[in-house]
Amino acid sequence: MAMNEKNIIGRELEGTLHKPSRQLAMVFDLNKCLGCHTCSISCKRQWTRDEGMEQQWWAVVNTQPGLGTPKNWEHLGGGWDAKGEPRPSNIPTRDEFGDAWKFNKDEVFHGGKGKVTYLKPVTTKGEAPDWGPNWDEDEGGGEYPNSHFFYLPRICNHCTHPACLEACPRGAIYKRADDGIVLINDKQCKGFRFCMEACPYKRIYYNHVRDVGQKCIFCFPRVEKGVAPACARQCPGRLRFVGYLDDENGPIHKLVHKFKVALPLHQEYGTQPNVYYVPPLSPPSVDMNGRVDPSRPRIPLEYLEGLFGPRVKEVLALLEAEKAKKAKGQPSELMDLLIVYKWPNDIFPDFVRDPAEL
Amino acid sequence: MVMTRRAFLLGTGGALALSLVLLKCKKTDVATDRPAAPYAERVPDVRYRGFEDVYRNQWKWDSVAKGTHFVNCWYQRGCNWNVYVKDGLVWREEQSGTYDQIDPKIPDYNPRGCQKGACYSERMYDESRLRHPLKRVGERGAGQWKRVSWDEALNDIADKTIDAMISSDGPGSVIWDQGTAQTNGGAGVAMMRTSLVLDTPVLDVNTEIGDHRPGAAVTIGKMVFCSSSDDLFFSDLVFIWGGNPIYTQIPNAHFITEARYNGAKVITIAPDYSASSIHADQWVPVKVATDAALGLAMAHVMIEDGIYNRKFVQEQTDLPLLVRVDNGRFLRESDMKPGGAEDRFYFHDQNAKTIELAPQKTLALDNRDPALEGEFEVQTTSGTVKVTPVFSRLRQHLRQYAPEKAMAICGVAPETIRGLAHDLAKARAATCITQSNFSKFYHGIEMERAQILCFALAGQMGRKGAGYMSFPYLSIDAVDGLGVATGQQSPKLALAALGLKMAPELIKAKFKGYTTEMTTFELGRQEYRHGAFPASLLWLYHQAGMEDTYGRSEKWDPAMKRPLDSYMKEAVAKGWQMQPSDRPRIFFEAGGNILRRFRAFDKVADRLLPALDLMVTIDWRMSNTALYSDYVLPAAAWYEKDDITWATPLSPFSQVITRAAEPIAEAKPDWEIHCLILKTIQRRAAERGIKSFKDRRGVERPFDVYDEFTFGGRYTENNVTEFLDLLLELSTNVGDANWEKIKKKGFQRFTALGENSYMNVGNATDVKENEPITAGLWHTEKKMPWPTLTRRMQFCIDHPFYEELGEVLPVHKDQPNIGGDYPLYLTGGHTRWSIHSTWRDQRHMQQLNRGQPVIYISVEDAAARGIKDGDQVRLFNDISSTELMAKVAAAHRPGQVTVYHAWEPFMSKGRTTYTSVTPNPINPLQLAGGYFHIQARPAEFAPGSTDRATKVQIEKVH
Repeated sequence: MAMNEKNIIGRELEGTLHKPSRQLAMVFDLNKCLGCHTCSISCKRQWTRDEGMEQQWWAVVNTQPGLGTPKNWEHLGGGWDAKGEPRPSNIPTRDEFGDAWKFNKDEVFHGGKGKVTYLKPVTTKGEAPDWGPNWDEDEGGGEYPNSHFFYLPRICNHCTHPACLEACPRGAIYKRADDGIVLINDKQCKGFRFCMEACPYKRIYYNHVRDVGQKCIFCFPRVEKGVAPACARQCPGRLRFVGYLDDENGPIHKLVHKFKVALPLHQEYGTQPNVYYVPPLSPPSVDMNGRVDPSRPRIPLEYLEGLFGPRVKEVLALLEAEKAKKAKGQPSELMDLLIVYKWPNDIFPDFVRDPAEL
Repeated sequence: MVMTRRAFLLGTGGALALSLVLLKCKKTDVATDRPAAPYAERVPDVRYRGFEDVYRNQWKWDSVAKGTHFVNCWYQRGCNWNVYVKDGLVWREEQSGTYDQIDPKIPDYNPRGCQKGACYSERMYDESRLRHPLKRVGERGAGQWKRVSWDEALNDIADKTIDAMISSDGPGSVIWDQGTAQTNGGAGVAMMRTSLVLDTPVLDVNTEIGDHRPGAAVTIGKMVFCSSSDDLFFSDLVFIWGGNPIYTQIPNAHFITEARYNGAKVITIAPDYSASSIHADQWVPVKVATDAALGLAMAHVMIEDGIYNRKFVQEQTDLPLLVRVDNGRFLRESDMKPGGAEDRFYFHDQNAKTIELAPQKTLALDNRDPALEGEFEVQTTSGTVKVTPVFSRLRQHLRQYAPEKAMAICGVAPETIRGLAHDLAKARAATCITQSNFSKFYHGIEMERAQILCFALAGQMGRKGAGYMSFPYLSIDAVDGLGVATGQQSPKLALAALGLKMAPELIKAKFKGYTTEMTTFELGRQEYRHGAFPASLLWLYHQAGMEDTYGRSEKWDPAMKRPLDSYMKEAVAKGWQMQPSDRPRIFFEAGGNILRRFRAFDKVADRLLPALDLMVTIDWRMSNTALYSDYVLPAAAWYEKDDITWATPLSPFSQVITRAAEPIAEAKPDWEIHCLILKTIQRRAAERGIKSFKDRRGVERPFDVYDEFTFGGRYTENNVTEFLDLLLELSTNVGDANWEKIKKKGFQRFTALGENSYMNVGNATDVKENEPITAGLWHTEKKMPWPTLTRRMQFCIDHPFYEELGEVLPVHKDQPNIGGDYPLYLTGGHTRWSIHSTWRDQRHMQQLNRGQPVIYISVEDAAARGIKDGDQVRLFNDISSTELMAKVAAAHRPGQVTVYHAWEPFMSKGRTTYTSVTPNPINPLQLAGGYFHIQARPAEFAPGSTDRATKVQIEKVH
């Protein structure tokens, strides 16, 4: 049903969100994530280096359970509820994301004051920091000896039903027809930040200097040239698969649709994210003396289901079963897929170009 | 899919109606069908979206060059990067990802790299970067400088160095530290050659760092012994025990997760639920510092349950060798006949039913079946003596570690211990990933011995996918020789001369039946005696006033019956350890950071600095050592010079850095700096009419030091790439690589261990083109003897110090209360966020943790002390104190606090750090010598650091 409406600036709109002809997607295998943040740094050195972007981390990695980036994002709202109604939200603040701290190096190295000085991080407001993009690293949940944690890398999900796109009154956000990449046209953006409210994953940042919203661009300049996105290509853990959802021969389709081991994060937010996760196994619970209790998973199932939905249990069981096949010397296509024998062909087969060769 | 209008509420209420965005689906030729052509060609007509071009245009560069990072990541090192340069400055870097797959059935090495390498392009230009020579004008460490010219700095440094060299203190008073930035591979040989021509000592830092694997060394005769990371793919059992590879082997770690997917069971043994536990199939919580008890309990189970690998034990270990029942000492040929050898041993052959000399030149037993149990009588030169195999004695000895008893020590349940033992014995191929963690425990020798005992009993050594991983080292092999080749002749002639000089020793060694390893190590032992590389701790003990800290082990160790000083004097008198005898006057820091790295560095600073006439730091960043120096000389960053790095089998590639951009400001490559220092010394000596100096052997040597260093002017500051080419040509393990080739590709896979390397040879294996590298195959397949006294993996060490301290056979000993009577163990590990201190104060790494020193505390210990996450806490004991921010972690074990390493002192209030509370006592066992393989030589068998599990207390800072 088409609707003739005009938006705030009088532009005539058709009102239909067409599905793109192809959708690029990523699958992150959480059994391989090392929490090293090479993805975060790769993205930062590629795109978020300019003034105003110092505190932007388009690719984050959080220890889960944990409050994440921005702080407590899973409870800030955004997206839609089960009835399809938008969930109220706030715009996360700079402090909640974790400000880019400044250090008094000049004072310590050249100030001549000696021992009384030392490096102290301060926020833009001049305060001692109490949050950062990886503040609660390696702390985890549960109770020793059955604490648990794993690493959760996140980027913009380039959703099929992006809340940010819908929320923008200027129509500055659009979804590319050829590959489904969602972009904020930061020339058209006026820094209203409704997108930051609307996104339930809180992956949009605000640039104070330019007064615009900015986020992951799926490295589209690289992808257009057949080079994998920086976060994926530079990941030493080899866990970030990239490809088209419809490519039946590619790893994305196989992990998401064939073996169905790749699950969306917080599917209940209603945005249909295109980044999927293979949920993490964990060593079984033990008592203080290391006696194994195989009946109790270390990471509570409810916790994982709260993130990845009701199919977690069967996916973890499948992973264990396929691992066991390999242990017996039997073949397993799924294990071979997740192993990644030949890089980059097995992990992003459509994006194997070496950028240095361009 | 059709949208209806949605209203998004603002937090303050009030709906703002937002409109829908039009998405026009652009019709292309193949809009709905799946196109066949590659992406870029399918969409020839990308719709002009002006803003998109802004991003496209950002992704451009002028040039690309190969590079890597010249820092000591050790176990994880060796990554090939592309360095992108724009407008003469490094713009960013990205892994090349061009390692060839050697076998389609094994995962390949790509892409390597970590987050630290991925931001070196930021680091090299940040506020820490040194741009000009600086001269201190305030107090040391004040941060008051005067910018001076290179000439002024070099002249002053040269004059002071000459003064020291010609004084009665001699060249021994000029000390160099290469620290953890030592490059070893190529131009880094400059440090060695500088010290060679000046006859100034270079600190042997390996033991001080605590990387010397002392338990492995006394057991297998060497510390170097490691397979390639991809060898893990052949394992069906992987222990992560005494290491945290998820933090410290980032580029290699995927081989662990992928081996796991391939069916391997991964078991992590650690006191805390470490980051390396999360992807394991089993985590075993073990009490801090009790891993020897756990290992010995596993060994007990394997023996009692009869599941040990008998053939392996008979062939490869000393367990069949006969020892005296009365005193536990080996039966030697010298016991059996006058003039008999001290290093020939016996076993009882059950086939021949006689006692025979154990073969010394091969491990092959042919059809001998050495007994592992039984008691026999022999006629020695002093009467009848009862003897029994080591195995039998060991079995008796291990009864105290029956699982029910061991649990009281290590906290691991008997059924868990039994499970581990059975898993290990039954595995097809088991690998033990152990890093340098236990090396840094006071009783680390016993921890490593116990681990290796388990793997030996299980026969899990020297097979594809099987082995205890000790210290990894594999590098181009021309460096060793060129580091010590003297004279002003061409390098090839110099090497030939060196060869001739060594020939008598080589012939002697061959005559004795030494293997190549043994010969190489023997030459190392002799060379070491001359004092070119004093072990740092010995130098700190004897010449830097640290005997009152490192040398008071008896204060903490209840097993010692005499003071450490007594052991030290005995070791020196017997020639087991050398005693540096020259007081320090000048200290050169070239890339390392002693005033961060030395345990209780602040005490070192108090004692050493006032004694120095001059302290010079050569570095590209302001380290704490630089901050305390008299002169700071700016070095080129890693992307600003040409060089070849050293490497390890874990990543078996020789890698290069190339001069992608010019050194900024007045920075110079360190090769050039060494040339200039020597050139200036040579010139100043001539100008001052000083013709020669007396070296440390009393021989007069001319001051033509620059001429000698440069091989008669052949390889100077102007043609380092020719020197690198020469190194590659002279190396025997890089195939046909030359500088031009390797500069383009960035790396070269090693083709062999090489004929000339003191370190490489310990891996004892061939390198094959299409297979991973498996350490130890020469021992297990070719039956080459191990380089130990018994020529076998040796678990009985009948050395007098070991006898005195009750450690002839591997034992568990309780961790002493080092630091005082306090309730918490301070453990450590290498941080994820830096390689040593190199990135500690880099802005991105700072931001991805807390920007300041942190201490991990368990929930229970924090609650008991009213400490909340984010509070400032004071860490203290009898030695010192420091302040850090608390991180309260459910993953942490009560009773254990952890500070991950390498915080720069200038990041803490009061400029102390966690190492300030570690008195680092020398374990007298590490002074032992005169026992063939147990004898000090470069990098090994000298006393090392023991900071782990220092006792501490913490309290909230109000």
